[in-house]
Amino acid sequence: MKPISKTRFDRLIERSSRSAAQRISRRSVLSRCGAWLVAASALPLLPVSRRAQAAGKFASDFANQAQTKDPTQCNYWRYCSSDGYLCACCGGGPSTCPPGSSPSPTSWVGSCINPDDGKTYLIAYRDCCGKDSCGKCSCLGQEGDMPEYRPQVNNDIVWCFGASSMVYHCSSAGLVGLAE
Amino acid sequence: MNRGAVSRVLSILRGCAVILLWPSAGISQELPTSNVPDVLTRNTGLHLEPMPRAARIYAENCQGCHGWTGVSVTEVPTLAGRIGYFARTPEGRKYLMQVPNVALNPSSDADIAAMMNWLLDTVSRAQLPSDFQPYTAEEVARLRKARIDAPAERRRVIEALVASKQIPSPDVLAIPHASLY
Repeated sequence: MKPISKTRFDRLIERSSRSAAQRISRRSVLSRCGAWLVAASALPLLPVSRRAQAAGKFASDFANQAQTKDPTQCNYWRYCSSDGYLCACCGGGPSTCPPGSSPSPTSWVGSCINPDDGKTYLIAYRDCCGKDSCGKCSCLGQEGDMPEYRPQVNNDIVWCFGASSMVYHCSSAGLVGLAE
Repeated sequence: MNRGAVSRVLSILRGCAVILLWPSAGISQELPTSNVPDVLTRNTGLHLEPMPRAARIYAENCQGCHGWTGVSVTEVPTLAGRIGYFARTPEGRKYLMQVPNVALNPSSDADIAAMMNWLLDTVSRAQLPSDFQPYTAEEVARLRKARIDAPAERRRVIEALVASKQIPSPDVLAIPHASLY
């Protein structure tokens, strides 16, 4: 078909729009726009996006659920690697032994993220020894915990080495330092 | 209400505000605050500085048993005032990298080198030889490959230190519970 436009630019536009009109139906344009609209609005509903939000702001799952106010709860931030009964529930504190038990001279040191400032702190997990198991507030934090064949960083074993008695009472979590 | 009454009311309100705010302002200035957001440290004034990476490697891998100062219970060999002696001979220098918990440690060669240089300088500087060369990551990688019989190698290294007059007697580096190792 001979173009009715005069200038070269007009002819170019006319030709392309005529060819588009011949090849594509009006409904197809509408349906494609609609599909894009639906796809764009449905994108945040995809499971990938939900998972990213649920993952929280820290790399550690424990830190995302942790709090800094109550040391008698398993989710107190320092307990990210603590396995056993909380001394804070047994008459002691998170870093002090209950009366009648004594702190083991050896401990294993792990690191936990403080959820309030996002910094990593080193925590000494020191068992209180010399008294029967306390039996209250049993918690299992497993950040950095390794199998028994790496005993230096395993929290399943009783850490009363060097103490006057190997009888385990409860686990404490003392603050050692700021890592970063 | 005229202008005089308004200004009287305002001045009374100002006085009340000063009285109400005074005690809380005083308390917040007197209680020391900590840079660790935690229920137990909040009002202790505890201020923690970030530790150097080498110190962190020591803390996470060694401190639990050897203690922060390199001195612990008699079951655990003392590091402070002693480990520098080992750096006085090539065999002793190797031994420090080949004791099982150093050789098998999951930390990188660079981290182990930095940790050992920092530890030697921190807890045993007086025992280091005057020409001590810090460990490099390459040296650590090479030395860490060997698997030794730790008690036998320790005896050999200490005998050599005595023979070359680096230490007066083996007692200087004796460990109380030698049977544990």
